[in-house]
Amino acid sequence: MKCLLVEDDQALARELGQALRDGDWLVEHAFNGQEADFLVRTEAYDSLILDVGLPDGDGIRWLAAWREDGIDLPILILTARERWADKAAGFSAGADDYVTKPFESAEVLFRLRALVRRSHGHAHPVLRMGELSLDTHTQHVALAGRPVSLTAQETRLLSYLMHAAPRVVSRTELSEHVYDRDHEPDSNVIDVQVSRLRRKLGAWRIVTQRGQGYRLLAEQPAAG
Amino acid sequence: MMPWPSWQGRIARRSIASRLLVATLVIVIVGLPLAGFLLSHHYRESATQAFDDRLEALLNVVIAGVAFDRVEQRLIFDRDLGDPRFDQVYSGWYWQMTDGQQHTLTSRSLWDQRLPTHDGNTLIARTVNGPRASSLRLVERDIQLAPLEQPLHISVAAEDQALMDNVRQFQQWLWGGLAGLGTLLLTVLALQIRWGLAPLRRMRANLREVENGEAKQLDTRLPDELAGLATTMNAVLARDQRLIERGRHAAGNLAHALKTPLSVMRLLARQAPAEQQSAWEAELTRIDNAVRHHLARASAAGEGGRVAPVSLNEALAPLINGLARLAQRRDIHLEHTLPRDMQAHMDAQDAQEIVGNILDNALRWAKGEVILTLEAHGEHLQLCVSDDGPGMSPADCQAALQRGKRLDEKRSGSGLGLSIVADLVALYRGDMQLERAALGGLAVTITLPVVVIRRPDRR
Repeated sequence: MKCLLVEDDQALARELGQALRDGDWLVEHAFNGQEADFLVRTEAYDSLILDVGLPDGDGIRWLAAWREDGIDLPILILTARERWADKAAGFSAGADDYVTKPFESAEVLFRLRALVRRSHGHAHPVLRMGELSLDTHTQHVALAGRPVSLTAQETRLLSYLMHAAPRVVSRTELSEHVYDRDHEPDSNVIDVQVSRLRRKLGAWRIVTQRGQGYRLLAEQPAAG
Repeated sequence: MMPWPSWQGRIARRSIASRLLVATLVIVIVGLPLAGFLLSHHYRESATQAFDDRLEALLNVVIAGVAFDRVEQRLIFDRDLGDPRFDQVYSGWYWQMTDGQQHTLTSRSLWDQRLPTHDGNTLIARTVNGPRASSLRLVERDIQLAPLEQPLHISVAAEDQALMDNVRQFQQWLWGGLAGLGTLLLTVLALQIRWGLAPLRRMRANLREVENGEAKQLDTRLPDELAGLATTMNAVLARDQRLIERGRHAAGNLAHALKTPLSVMRLLARQAPAEQQSAWEAELTRIDNAVRHHLARASAAGEGGRVAPVSLNEALAPLINGLARLAQRRDIHLEHTLPRDMQAHMDAQDAQEIVGNILDNALRWAKGEVILTLEAHGEHLQLCVSDDGPGMSPADCQAALQRGKRLDEKRSGSGLGLSIVADLVALYRGDMQLERAALGGLAVTITLPVVVIRRPDRR
């Protein structure tokens, strides 16, 4: 999952970015509204963390502008303001949730995961596809109740497919959401990682739709 | 020897109305009678003088007309005084000339009576008793008339009844006039107190409105003397307001400036060795709590008194709508009933702070349901928020109402939110109760004496 962190304070951006990466997020930074505006309109993200106090204008204004233009990715605002009127303005402008500074990384991760889950229409923190389950908070994957050991990259890949299911996910979409912009893989790398997942979870669970991408299945299709 | 200060103090505190009353009473009780006495005295003097002058003129005519007939050895007087009353018996107008022995001549009006005489050759004017117990004004002069050896006493007298009547009439008019003047003075004083002091009373009522927060500043459409006072007072109020604003801003800016570094330190604390982490956490939490607590205090307008009434609906609707959206995204149903039109003596920000903190706390813990109700009971605003979360033990409820205590160290700020609310509620002299909600979680009930009670218009 990819998150855009819009924060002008270098130290906070660095530390929060690290905390997010530790929580299995791919993080990109924007240090002002302009930069964030450009990235939001050109790149694909699963969530956005927005500090409302930005050097080039109130974060709430940028937020309102994005919502106006139909950009509906989940947005978590970071606010240092104690004034409830300002926080309320943030919600009205279209923020999905907020965290008040000084926050704990656990709270940011908790809110962020819940936002992404709900944006894909999942209410419960544990996603299930038949016997396969993924706890969005702990990133633990289990098959028929038994834990499955996956690498971080495999977990990210599976997590994205599970959030998106039962939709078909294209290779491009996967490379955008699951891989760093700087290390965008060729489709071969994705194929290799998908086949490793198939080995660990059962080959039938991930179907290749020719020319479209991958799709996760809940039930094994009848043989034939 | 202590009565002095209190006596002086009592004078200093005397109302302006009673000062004016005392001054006017001094004029009416002392000034007017004194003026009356002096006027009446001088009038009497000058009226008597004029009467005497007339008698003296007659006396001179009489003196000019007297002669002694050596042949008949008697006094003769052949001049006509031009007033018939000297010839009518006991008419009240008399003349007499006598040497005190055998030679005496009188006006016919005197008949067989005689006027008293007095030795001395200067002109003497005096009041004497005349015929038939009348009171006479008499002028007399002694002259030497050859060949008489004794000086001749010549007197002219007239009843002073007319003079006295004249003086009495003047006095009646005078005292009547003065009584009228006194009454007028007292009436004018009453008007002065009613009308002249009306601006003062208006200003006092105006000040009370400012105190109650119904007016922002004093009306300066006042008489010159008070307009200056009101303008100065407004300047003081405005400066007060500026100082408060500056204090709030300073506190807000300081808190704002500390938030980001605190966040960074929190994140850095994760990298500390496990045994140090909780110590770091605890200290950072203490800093954060102190900042939030004092910021909340500094930015609270509070203290009932000077807060202008606001529409609670206008102040709270954006906040509640915003939080309702948030609740929806957290899959929590936030049910809220807001009165359509309720005015309360509260700072809008304080109201938002109270409702925001309680709702924030409820939304943090609720599983799926939060209910907010806001009602007016007389002048009391009752705010109740309940949730279906885990609730709090009675001991925790107790602790939450104490300043700065934290209930749960795992999630930031939850306990503090409630204690900030408790502080604000205390500032407004309200009451805050925590108990188990019917939904199962925590129910926070706050009662604040801030609702503006509409009095029916008097027509």
